[in-house]
Amino acid sequence: MAVVRINVGPVHPSTHGVLRLVVDVDGDTVKLVEPHIGFLHRGVEKLCETRMYMQSPSYMEKLDYIAPLAWDELYVAAVEQAMGVPVKEGAQYARVMLLEFQRIASHLLWMGTLASDLGQMFTTFMWAFRDRSKVIKLLEDVSGSRMFYVNMRLGGLYQPLPKDFKERATALIDYIDKTMPEYLEILDKNEVFLDRTKGVGALSRDDAINYGVSGPVLRASGVREDVRKSQPYYVYDKLKFDIPVMRNGDSFDRYRVRYEEILQSTRIIRQCLSMMPENADVLGAPVKLIGPAAKPDTVIARRELPRGEGLIYMIPDKQRPYRISLRSPTFINLSVLSKLCDGVKFADIFAIMGSLDLVLAEIDR
Amino acid sequence: MSDDAEAMQGLSRKVPNAPYTVEQFMNAEKEMTKLLVDSAKQTDSKTPVNAVFAKLSDLSKLTPLAKDVVQWSRTNSLWPLQFGLACCAIELMDFGASRIDAERKGYLLFRGTPRQCDVMIVAGWVTKSMVPRIKRLYEQMASPKYVVAYGECATSGGPWWESYNIVQGIDQVLPVDVYACGCPPKPENLFGALMKLQDKIGGRVAGNNERSVSENMQRHEGERV
Repeated sequence: MAVVRINVGPVHPSTHGVLRLVVDVDGDTVKLVEPHIGFLHRGVEKLCETRMYMQSPSYMEKLDYIAPLAWDELYVAAVEQAMGVPVKEGAQYARVMLLEFQRIASHLLWMGTLASDLGQMFTTFMWAFRDRSKVIKLLEDVSGSRMFYVNMRLGGLYQPLPKDFKERATALIDYIDKTMPEYLEILDKNEVFLDRTKGVGALSRDDAINYGVSGPVLRASGVREDVRKSQPYYVYDKLKFDIPVMRNGDSFDRYRVRYEEILQSTRIIRQCLSMMPENADVLGAPVKLIGPAAKPDTVIARRELPRGEGLIYMIPDKQRPYRISLRSPTFINLSVLSKLCDGVKFADIFAIMGSLDLVLAEIDR
Repeated sequence: MSDDAEAMQGLSRKVPNAPYTVEQFMNAEKEMTKLLVDSAKQTDSKTPVNAVFAKLSDLSKLTPLAKDVVQWSRTNSLWPLQFGLACCAIELMDFGASRIDAERKGYLLFRGTPRQCDVMIVAGWVTKSMVPRIKRLYEQMASPKYVVAYGECATSGGPWWESYNIVQGIDQVLPVDVYACGCPPKPENLFGALMKLQDKIGGRVAGNNERSVSENMQRHEGERV
């Protein structure tokens, strides 16, 4: 049969945003997938150069709108490094807890949308959003905003934690630990889900390393790499948690890694709640006091975001960064899409793309 | 009772959950069909099909009762386009998910193709490279069609106001009916915006009559779509 070139997107129900794919198909077999990006480009790095340091977290949060707090914290950590501001001990525990809650919310949304893509398993979607909305409600009460929290300040948080935070957080992680096995019932025993994920889009260990992918995609291919372990920040070195690793690197393993990470996150939060000092001071410096000259020439901050390893390279200047450069994990994870989709069936493109967990705003910047 | 009388009784029966009878619905349908046929007669083969249907937005030629019936019907069947651009699309998903459950108001028939939809919810910032695509989606939607600008970015450009690649508000490209402000607006806010849109379509607030035909037929010369 002749090879036909098909255009998918930029507006397509399954591309989770405005990704455009040019697909060459021979019958139903994919010969080539070529991603075209840039439909959400708005020049974040350039805009940050025109803003004072603590005006930019709002821009950073909109990079990854499924896990905004993670980028917020990464940027503020870079600024803290530039200013030489230490983070208070109580704030370190609070930040770790909020970041892990954000990871849970992000992975839950991913699970719901993936199941929805793979043959309209709408129950999973509804369950995932039910659980996610509980996490989001807690984060909203901590920060005052539902989606874009802008909760980090130099050395701490924007406001003290709510008085009943400990009880509510404990109740929430108990709830999540209780409900997560329900997803195993509905996904791991689901014939459609297994058929469409097992063995689909397998990424070998060598390819994963060579392409530079990170996060759950890398760990599903059998590489034990996590910034929280390899370069611990805050109190992660005092906490006991495992890095879930799978071997096959297919879509199913990527799902399992994220599933296990949710359970590890609740484990981390549980330890933080017991180790955090009572009535700890978590307040950071107010925004208006910020803006002295920064000390080092260059700053590099690394964090384990829910989607992989995020990195900020910054050249600080007075009042505002001279240049800021971002390593967004999904941009690099997208580069394996062409490799994974070689020779699969057309419908599997969306199963593979969904399992990579792409966020287009972070890719286009 | 003869068959005719039975049929007459059926016609004057109220439709469940609707304030009009079967006969009133049938009459309104006849009048709308006439409107469409008249509109088709005035055009030639070169006129785009969408332009023929666009005449259906102008209800001034209908009888008052038929107009009410048509407006009531349009008010209560809003089919939004499944179309997310950026952050606000996540709240749009939450809008359709378990917490809000938009289905109870009849908003949740998110369709993948623009040809089945009549509400476009622009959720997210609009870049310059996205403008021709959004225009094309809007053109493909069947008349009458409505646009909701959801969020600061679609309203005015939002935080990206100074960016070199951003259109400062979707209203520079499409005629917007309702704005929902916030960054991002809560799903409840979208619920309120769609209820406002219902008021507007039903003629309960000003602004419906002036904007009877909202079309954007002409493309810019040399525009890549």
